[in-house]
Amino acid sequence: MGALLTRWRTWLWVLPAVALLLVFVYYPIVDNLRLSFFSWNAFSPEPRFVGLDNYAEAFADPVFWRALLNNTAYAVVSLVFQAGLSLVLAALLEELVGKRMRGLLRTLYFIPAAMSITVAGVLFSFLYNPRYGLVNAALDAVGLGHLGRAWLGEESSAIWSVIAMSQWQSIGYTAVLFVVAIQRIPREYYEAARVDGSGAVRTFFSITVPMVREMTTLIVILTISGAFLVFNEVMVMTAGGPDNSSQVLGTWLYRKAFFEDDMGYAAGVATVIFVITFAIAALQLAVSRRRRYDT
Amino acid sequence: MTKPRWTALSLVTVLVATAGCGGGSGTAPAATADLSAPKEKAGTLTMVTKFADPEYAPYFEKVVAAYEAANPKVDVKLEQVGDQPYKDKIRVLSASRDLPDIYFSWAGDFANKFVRAGLAADLTDVIGPGTPWGSTFAPAALKAFEYGGKNYGMPINLDGKYMVYNKTVLDKAGVTPPVSFEELLSACDKLKAAGVQPIAFGNQYGWAAIHYITQLNAYGVPGRTLETDYNPATGAFTDPGYVTALKQFKDLVTRCGTKDANGLSHETAQAQFLAGKAGMHYVETVEFDVFTKAKPAIEWSFFRLPAPSAAAGDKAALTGAPDGFLVNAQSKNAALAVDFLKFMTTKENAAALTKDNGWLSPVKGSATADNSYPQLTDALADIDKAASFAIWLDTVTHAEVASAYLSGVEGMLSGSRTPEQVMEGVRAAAAKAKKEVG
Repeated sequence: MGALLTRWRTWLWVLPAVALLLVFVYYPIVDNLRLSFFSWNAFSPEPRFVGLDNYAEAFADPVFWRALLNNTAYAVVSLVFQAGLSLVLAALLEELVGKRMRGLLRTLYFIPAAMSITVAGVLFSFLYNPRYGLVNAALDAVGLGHLGRAWLGEESSAIWSVIAMSQWQSIGYTAVLFVVAIQRIPREYYEAARVDGSGAVRTFFSITVPMVREMTTLIVILTISGAFLVFNEVMVMTAGGPDNSSQVLGTWLYRKAFFEDDMGYAAGVATVIFVITFAIAALQLAVSRRRRYDT
Repeated sequence: MTKPRWTALSLVTVLVATAGCGGGSGTAPAATADLSAPKEKAGTLTMVTKFADPEYAPYFEKVVAAYEAANPKVDVKLEQVGDQPYKDKIRVLSASRDLPDIYFSWAGDFANKFVRAGLAADLTDVIGPGTPWGSTFAPAALKAFEYGGKNYGMPINLDGKYMVYNKTVLDKAGVTPPVSFEELLSACDKLKAAGVQPIAFGNQYGWAAIHYITQLNAYGVPGRTLETDYNPATGAFTDPGYVTALKQFKDLVTRCGTKDANGLSHETAQAQFLAGKAGMHYVETVEFDVFTKAKPAIEWSFFRLPAPSAAAGDKAALTGAPDGFLVNAQSKNAALAVDFLKFMTTKENAAALTKDNGWLSPVKGSATADNSYPQLTDALADIDKAASFAIWLDTVTHAEVASAYLSGVEGMLSGSRTPEQVMEGVRAAAAKAKKEVG
């Protein structure tokens, strides 16, 4: 009797959270999937069932693939900078910089991450301005004026300029996460390496890199899934233009839903985003579970 | 650690799913709101505008306060949001069939969508031509909200697109205001030779180029063809005039604009013009206030974008359109809503609109020397002369077509598409729109 009461009481405590999850997470996901099989918009009196047409249309649409490619480029560059370079940065901070400077530099690196993405986007729009922007002025100043361009206004450079801003903003954040991981490595390992005559580079690859493996996995997963959910910075800086060259899945979904009134197609894109991020989440679970078994 | 991802994903799905709530509620209801004068002015009115800008919002707040003071039993709940958020908000409200009693709309297919969905009340009996209220408006402004021979909207302002020029800059370069498109191109060459940017042009979000195309389409394509093509049920866009218009625009940008236009905002270009670094700037009359308040002051005037000499369309057409308000067809307070709109467009309130916001009102005789400045009254006189409004291409056409034009022209400016390729994209979008509206 007591056990039964305890079980019911447990359910009672869990129920509000489950209800919230059902209403605000699972119901929208399922309903979104249902809506992706219809052709409908905010004004259509009755959604029309079209089966997989929205998906077929998306897969035949070059802009959809362009968006997916841009998300992938975002993920690859973010991996290099936020998982690779930021680890180097963190190691440099911990190993080579004096204690007093270390605190100051950590703060400096972290400040961009504390800034609103919209503010950062607007700020970089000014920096990239072809007439008054600092980027072109800086290139001019060092004799590379011929490389100056309308960074956000040219198809070849728009998405890369947005990605660059994103790296500027996130690299400090992941570097601080790596600093925390490095600080947890026992100092004895480094001392032993030094006694054995290991140089800084060898120590980095033989001790630091393997010992921060868990944090690296986490950052890799966060970075990739973040790259497929990117929206704000693209919206603020280019809105997907020019000529859809900087569209990512999030902004393409938004444009289809709220500009072109094609909610069914947008729901299809949302499902694709869900499948990609779900796969990444599943991979994360699988990797972390295997690691638990290994240790 | 998976929390942020789930939260973001939920947001994406909720965004789409919320817009879908109520989307399947049967067929479009007939737009049959009761508009007969209310026996007693009492109740709550809801209204949403897109005029949240601090320089425009106070006017609407003032009118609401005055109406409430005159009718103590009426409570007007006014909500004002920004231009872009409004487009999202009104779509979500439409999908959930939760529209306010009075809501803002651009002219063209943006308004027609509400009509087709049965969400806009037929106002013909109260504002149609020949009615006492309708007679107070400029006919072209009323016509902009006409659909199927019926009136569905009340115009709130008059907006025309003009080429503003800096007299000092043009004089220095020995340029006089051109009267043909070809003369405009030659004037650009002269200004360039004098070391001045001929036209300040920023196209970061695509619409600035679309306004030029709107005018050039009106000049180059016969009116009846335009009407057929801008209607989503019949649009084909096969007239060669469309490609010609794009070619003319490309010429204009090459000789008068800059190749970095896609990377410049309209505001940046405007700052360049205000600083005397450019000779001309293509703007809406609602922006005229900026030039009168320029510091240091500039000597400026305006002319219409001149028509090419071999134009097959309407040389008297003027790009522009009034913005307006629609009344919710399902509103229980539709009659009260009409009463409020009548109050908003009394001659006195229309004159206040010109004085406070610097906008031209469609109410006849509302702009006077007291509440406006010479350029504004000249623009009003010119708008009166316009045979018809060439409504903004990105609101007059179906959203699919508008989107194809916006991205296509951006591509043309950056060199990745030819005018023919842009029109191919537009035709594909028109075919999709046709399928959608049946």
